[in-house]
Amino acid sequence: MAIFINGSACISHFNTLDGNYFFEDMSTTPTSNQLNATVPDYKEYIQPVNLLRRMSHVVKMGVSAALQSIKNSETDKVDAIIVGTGIGCSEDTDKFLRSLIENNEELLTPTSFIQSTHNTVAGQIALMIKCYGYNFTYVHQNLSFEYAMLDAMMLLNDKEETNVLVGGIDETTNSLFQLFNGAGHIKNIEELEPVWTAKNKGYVLGEGASLFNLNQVKSSGTYSEIKGIKCLQKVENPVVLIETTKKFLSGLNLNLTDIDLVLSGNCGDALMDKKITEFNNAINLPIGYFKNLCGEYFTSSGFAVWLASQIIKKQQIPQAILSNPTAFKKLNHILIVNHYHDQEYSLICISAC
Amino acid sequence: MSENIFITGMGIISAIGNTVDETLHSLKEGKTGIEKIKYLKTLHKDQFVVGEVKLSNEELIDIAGIGKYNRTTLLGYIAAKEALNNAKVTDMKGGRTGFISSTTVAGMCASELLYKDFFEGINNENFIDSHFSGVSTNDIAKLLGINEYVTTISTACSSAANAIMLGARLIKNNILDRVVVGGVDPLSKFTLNGFNTLMILDKEWCKPFDENRKGLNIGEGAAYVILESEAFVLKNNKKPLAQLIGYGNANDAFHQTASSPEGHGALLAMQKAFKVANISPSKIDYINAHGTGTPNNDLSEGAAMQTIFENKVPKFSSTKAFTGHTLAAAGGIEAVISILAIQNNMIFPSLNRSTQMIDLTITPVDTLETNVPINYVLSNSFGFGGNCSSLIFSKN
Repeated sequence: MAIFINGSACISHFNTLDGNYFFEDMSTTPTSNQLNATVPDYKEYIQPVNLLRRMSHVVKMGVSAALQSIKNSETDKVDAIIVGTGIGCSEDTDKFLRSLIENNEELLTPTSFIQSTHNTVAGQIALMIKCYGYNFTYVHQNLSFEYAMLDAMMLLNDKEETNVLVGGIDETTNSLFQLFNGAGHIKNIEELEPVWTAKNKGYVLGEGASLFNLNQVKSSGTYSEIKGIKCLQKVENPVVLIETTKKFLSGLNLNLTDIDLVLSGNCGDALMDKKITEFNNAINLPIGYFKNLCGEYFTSSGFAVWLASQIIKKQQIPQAILSNPTAFKKLNHILIVNHYHDQEYSLICISAC
Repeated sequence: MSENIFITGMGIISAIGNTVDETLHSLKEGKTGIEKIKYLKTLHKDQFVVGEVKLSNEELIDIAGIGKYNRTTLLGYIAAKEALNNAKVTDMKGGRTGFISSTTVAGMCASELLYKDFFEGINNENFIDSHFSGVSTNDIAKLLGINEYVTTISTACSSAANAIMLGARLIKNNILDRVVVGGVDPLSKFTLNGFNTLMILDKEWCKPFDENRKGLNIGEGAAYVILESEAFVLKNNKKPLAQLIGYGNANDAFHQTASSPEGHGALLAMQKAFKVANISPSKIDYINAHGTGTPNNDLSEGAAMQTIFENKVPKFSSTKAFTGHTLAAAGGIEAVISILAIQNNMIFPSLNRSTQMIDLTITPVDTLETNVPINYVLSNSFGFGGNCSSLIFSKN
């Protein structure tokens, strides 16, 4: 049976929590090598104020996007909560670790330790909406969101649950930026350019929270249908990626020619993007580059699913993701191809319904 | 959807032994692994007792024989490899095989020693390559030759129980034929100090389900079991160790770190597990409780057990006074202990207990019981964030 995205909400560098905003003001070149999230007025989502004060950045993002997705889904009933996060609660982990080192294991306070566990966001959402059901947190780097989605789909297909809240969340902090920069992974600010023209090293670091309400019954506001997801532990070469993609699509009764748009996970590091660029060149399909909008982070494929749903619902593509602005006929099927550091890859298919 | 899930192998490394055999020996002898800190470099070295694996990193590197990895990957690999050997799995051919691991500490055991250096530009690449949760899972999967369904779960102290549950669901859904499931957590200054700030560490041996319990002892270790589908077991003519017949996951939705006094989440997890197992609670012969030894957990869990068993609570114990609380690995370590109980018809005791809890009517098993027919075992695992999970194992 089909699985529908009935609710969806996204916090990213842009004001994506506003359902009417669609990157109209965005040019094709990112403005910074660190894309911090544009956050809402949290008081509208999280009360009382002292609860809000205790929450870290990633918890606030995750909880607010979750509550907005539930609202958009026109339901108030959530049976299960599944979160994927590559890094988890980075700010509180950094805080506790620094104070542990600086104070030589003395005079520590528990707050940042309590909130440093990876399942804090899923637990806080459950606490806030009083959801006693299935509660899971996946922490498998760049496949965290994909495995969370696969679990949600399995729960629905099994009829174990009917309305599943699922999402991908990751925060960036100054410490993480320094660590990634020190390892040579951050794009020089002078070398910023669209991800598809990049010829040198490094990427733009991003963050965000993308939450979805999945159900097997459509609602009046259904965004799209989630057709399938495939995780790949490794991809030897572009030919393997093409063959695996064809096989993945044929399992969904689709051909490559049925795909109206590919959202490609090029990060802007020319070496890491080598295989995916060759894949893009070979498949002869319109390509959109979603990391031009959200930057690189472990659960960026959550952003891509949100973007695909919006594109299908609005039947409109933000110009800032296209290397060649083209006219499109009806957008029915979108294929997301993502990778991280040229290690694990994933394929996701989102369709109109 | 009615297919049975068989356990065909298990592997464990913890404070009470580096193998399944050593673990069983310690359990039978009533020999705890909780001692003064020997290997973890911490200011609190003489202040707390912990359940350390009795091997240095260098010794673990020698035993594992896979090269230089951090303690997380070494412990995980040793236990997962033992489980595969135990199940007589020599390669991953002939079936869809997955690896589902879980951890809370991940690479922190190494990062916490190098964190300052990282910011001074020393070994930065090393942080990215070793710190994050999926790293040890991917490394172990590669070393074992598994690439079908490889993922990592982190639901605090219920993590490994959830990994086991996910593995069972993947087999029932015909996504995998065979899956290695469990968890690993090494000791770290991060967790030792964290639990210390919460004031839930007992400076002496923990006393689960004792009126005067003061808290937990942190432990470390790894444990994995091999789950196989019924069809796969029949095809390969395997002799299973036990079956996994029930599992349940729920959220207490009460507080970020504390459990509700009545154990609402624990009760829901157990109820779900019984529903999946399709047996009545009265069938259970032994409960391996979460029983951390904190005032809050044991009261909450005890209350939930009294509710679901309608005050006819079967024999139960917490084995955390042997191993310490191994956090993400606990559900895996206690799955192995539950299966050992089934295989040996034994109930391993709760150590160090002397005074009956006033708020509960139930009392754990205090001394080793042998020749007790054990057909059904319930194992509980609960964690921060309200995560509660229960598993039910049965004799074949």
